[in-house]
Amino acid sequence: MQRTAITVGRGREEVARLWATPGYRTDYIDQHGATVAFKDAPADRGTEIHVDLGGRGADGLGGVLRKVGGSPELTKVKDELRRFKQRVETGVIPRSDGTPEGESAERKIKQRPAQPLTDSELPKAGVA
Amino acid sequence: MRANVWSGRNTVQVENVPDPKILNDRDAIVKITSTAICGSDLHLYDGYIPTMKRGDILGHEFMGEVVETARGVTNLQVGDRVVVPFPIACGDCWSCRHEMYSICENSNPNAGIAEKLFGHPTAGIFGYSHITGGYAGGQAEYARVPFADVGPIKVEDDLPDDKVLFLSDIFPTGYMGAEFCDIKGGESIAVFGAGPVGQFAIASAVMLGAEQVIAIDQYDYRLDMARNRAGATDVIDFSKDADVVEQLKVLTGGRGPDAVIDAVGMEAAHGHGALHAAERMKQATRSETDRGHALRDAILACRPGGIVSIIGVYGGLMDKFPTGALMNKGLTVRGGQCHVHRYLKPLYERVRNGDIDPSFVVTHRLGLDMAPDAYETFKHKQDECVKVVLEPGRDA
Repeated sequence: MQRTAITVGRGREEVARLWATPGYRTDYIDQHGATVAFKDAPADRGTEIHVDLGGRGADGLGGVLRKVGGSPELTKVKDELRRFKQRVETGVIPRSDGTPEGESAERKIKQRPAQPLTDSELPKAGVA
Repeated sequence: MRANVWSGRNTVQVENVPDPKILNDRDAIVKITSTAICGSDLHLYDGYIPTMKRGDILGHEFMGEVVETARGVTNLQVGDRVVVPFPIACGDCWSCRHEMYSICENSNPNAGIAEKLFGHPTAGIFGYSHITGGYAGGQAEYARVPFADVGPIKVEDDLPDDKVLFLSDIFPTGYMGAEFCDIKGGESIAVFGAGPVGQFAIASAVMLGAEQVIAIDQYDYRLDMARNRAGATDVIDFSKDADVVEQLKVLTGGRGPDAVIDAVGMEAAHGHGALHAAERMKQATRSETDRGHALRDAILACRPGGIVSIIGVYGGLMDKFPTGALMNKGLTVRGGQCHVHRYLKPLYERVRNGDIDPSFVVTHRLGLDMAPDAYETFKHKQDECVKVVLEPGRDA
């Protein structure tokens, strides 16, 4: 399945506005031709964002590998959605010592030790 | 700064590492005055929690003095004395707004890893593997505290560290375990495990009005503490009689406890040597992550219609989980990492009022550099060790 969804704790208008506002997300989802839909979540939950990447990679060996290991595109889209939710709800992208750039597919594969960054690592992690 | 880092299975060492820096607008830096070793740190030490990395700074129970704040932290000032809750919570997401801080939806930057294992991500935790975010821990001279505008509680009187330090984890965790039991007065509660969390679960069950509180463990000194300091009315030493279920039924007139608290978790022991060895073998070969003796007995002993409260830490999968007993007896299961933020103020007030002195669990106080020895002492239950407090400013 090449679909995913996340719920953001803000009203639909605000979520749609921020989705279109530079700085709240990268262009990754747009560049991959995904379909994006907003939907009111129940009660006080906010707004659901549904992303459909289409049926790519469903057949053959590639499809099997995707089923086993997960689709890299979908993983990246999930990261982008989490970062959007974090930015909207908290105002920051949470950074740990192991994942100083914030949630990213690349860091999932190669974590750094959970100890403070050296001065030379700070700019690479996007910290001024 | 000096910090205690994980260096592989059964190995920690105190090393020089970079000082923490502010990385976000909601961060603070705390100079640590006291930090404790938690029973759940032993799961990391023993290598049973996945996604540890050599060099990870351990420790999620700590307090100290604020030495730096980012611009978004207006509730704290440099010089404030604070206790830091072990879960990292944003305070803004739906879960945080409903006081379920340990399942904060935003604080874990490795949410994708946690989602693979648990179905959904859980909150970030200091010094507790990369599934919970890869945050440096507090067994160090300093720590960066993300979302410092939400988590830390200021200690505004002269209570010593030992009386307030455990607000960071084990006191609220034990309290939440007792609160899960819906105690209204007069109940029988069984607490599996008389380690530090178990001691606070017992003390909390007593505070909440339970009539009978039964502590279960295999070490005399911990059962003595449970009876004489925490307030247990009865104790069961399963090293002398491994049939805990029958003993609990006898102690409760055949009914079984109204609620059972599992304060043991994934490295449970069994009074029968062969059964214990078999389960250890499965865990060692990674055919299961969680040894389930305590939880199985808890479920089998609990009275029909009762509550099973799980606050001991589990990491993944367990064999022979008694689904039949769980379903047919109509049990209610509650569990979770503690929503510490929810309990900070009310339990701080209980400490200030003198309802409880949490320092009763402390048996060892050492300098930070002694952490490797302290882990060994704690792990092997040497020297009647119940709780170790490390003080970075102390020599030995």
